[in-house]
Amino acid sequence: MPVELAVGALRDSRRGIAAWCVGVAAYVAMVAAIYPSVETSPEFNELVERYPEVLKSLFGIVEGGDITSGPGFVDVELFSFMLPLLLLVLAIGYGARTLAGEEDAGRLELLLAYPLRRRASVVAKGAALAAQIAVVSVAGWATLLVIDPLVGLALDFGNLCAAFVGVAVLALFHGWLALGVGAAVPSRALAIAVPAGAAALGYLVNGLHDLAGWLAPFRFVSPFWLVGSSPLQTGIDAAGTLVVLAAAVVVLAGGALLLERRDLQTP
Amino acid sequence: MEARQYDRAVTATPAIETVGLCKTYGGKVRALVDLDLRVERGEVFGYLGPNGAGKSTTIRLLLDLIHPTEGRAALLGLETRSQGVEARRRVGYLPGDLRLPDRLTGAEFLGSLARLRGHVDEARRDEVSARLGAILDRPLRHLSKGNRQKIGLVQAFMHRPELVVLDEPTAGLDPLLQGEVRALMREVAAEGGTVFLSSHSLDEVQHTADRVGIIRSGRLVDVDSVAGLRSRSLRRVRVAFANGVPRERFDRIEGVRVVEEQASLVRLLAPETAMDGLVKTLAEHTIVDLVSEPADLEEIFLELYREADGAG
Repeated sequence: MPVELAVGALRDSRRGIAAWCVGVAAYVAMVAAIYPSVETSPEFNELVERYPEVLKSLFGIVEGGDITSGPGFVDVELFSFMLPLLLLVLAIGYGARTLAGEEDAGRLELLLAYPLRRRASVVAKGAALAAQIAVVSVAGWATLLVIDPLVGLALDFGNLCAAFVGVAVLALFHGWLALGVGAAVPSRALAIAVPAGAAALGYLVNGLHDLAGWLAPFRFVSPFWLVGSSPLQTGIDAAGTLVVLAAAVVVLAGGALLLERRDLQTP
Repeated sequence: MEARQYDRAVTATPAIETVGLCKTYGGKVRALVDLDLRVERGEVFGYLGPNGAGKSTTIRLLLDLIHPTEGRAALLGLETRSQGVEARRRVGYLPGDLRLPDRLTGAEFLGSLARLRGHVDEARRDEVSARLGAILDRPLRHLSKGNRQKIGLVQAFMHRPELVVLDEPTAGLDPLLQGEVRALMREVAAEGGTVFLSSHSLDEVQHTADRVGIIRSGRLVDVDSVAGLRSRSLRRVRVAFANGVPRERFDRIEGVRVVEEQASLVRLLAPETAMDGLVKTLAEHTIVDLVSEPADLEEIFLELYREADGAG
């Protein structure tokens, strides 16, 4: 039964997930712990104000935003780059490993000789990936929630939840893209390169479309733009997030159907 | 009454049936050409051929791991393309190049596979594990090739499948265990199940199989009973004569072929059935030395292929 495939995948990677939770929680806690010293340094804002526009744009430093406020600080320090990066690394790595990597290693042959529909096995692995992202996101979310009163970030609870939903959806899209590409073509390299390239492009388009006008029309295809850049200050774009979620489902389903049509690659 | 008729209808379908099955890679590499094969229920069928002949390609087509370029196949009356899931539920499979997860122990891996299948006879799993001496409590990466193979064999037999497909099952096993695997295969057949045994070793196949199919360069060359095959089993004969002897005399004996002839030395290939006539003919001459030994597999294959080419 395909459920076992998802449960088994999680069971096998439980140590890895635990390590990711600890790592993300530690990073979040460390960044939050710096906040009191930033809060008491108004010159920080002046410094940031003198950043090149490109950097400000990339780091999501919004016009009129206040980097010395709790939400502004967390947006710039965590949600503009590091947190999405960490979760994307987790998602793309796992998405490429769990199917394309297994096929490369020759371990898929026995599995697919079992009474499973191939599409069901892709969906099961997709579910395992979603669960991993969820668990690691919750670890980061809970850490911020606990540490907020201690360092005085004064984060809005709704925005905090939305921010992690946004990051998780971004990771899910790129992870399922890795899984879908690996299902469609038997190449672990492509299963990493395609979503990693898409993430880099999406990030740059989102960060730079204000400065480079010719990029502006492309912002609609950037998942980062669709979800929104300053979640703790402005919340996330619900409609855009749903679009990214829908795109994630499409790439996973497409990969699952293409896997059914092709030959398994054997060593 | 009706139930009995139903039973008969079901068992009348062969365990494996392929019709015009072809697999071509990249439009030109013909891995399998027009395979028409019928394996009945209750038999152990040996699928014999040198490496790269198309044995694994056939098996992967049967399990729907790869898709045919042309033709169709059915397992237990179920089409591999459209009813593959249902078919594979009733099939056990051991890949020729078995790759196992590193970190799991044998018991964890088998447990996971059992849940994946949904139904497994635990008593059977323990019985097969014990008979093969499978090591279940150590991570799979620490096991030798032979011990990994045992885990693969356990998972192929553990759900009492109606059809067991084994690709080179005794690779890496010692002779004692090879015997145990043979016994397992014979038991499956005795209980009405079917075993499809792929191997490059004539020895392995002839002690286990009822019938043998021989494949070469993607084409099924011959299907015969093991008794029939054995009657063709070749001897390599070397005769040293005191005086030179004309070769025509030996070629005239049915099945005998002269491979090499030197001044006073003749090398021959002769099926066992021709040995009596050969020796009696040889006895008419003065012989210095006579050596007769089983021809190796390559020679038997070559001889079978020669016949097939001659017939075709």
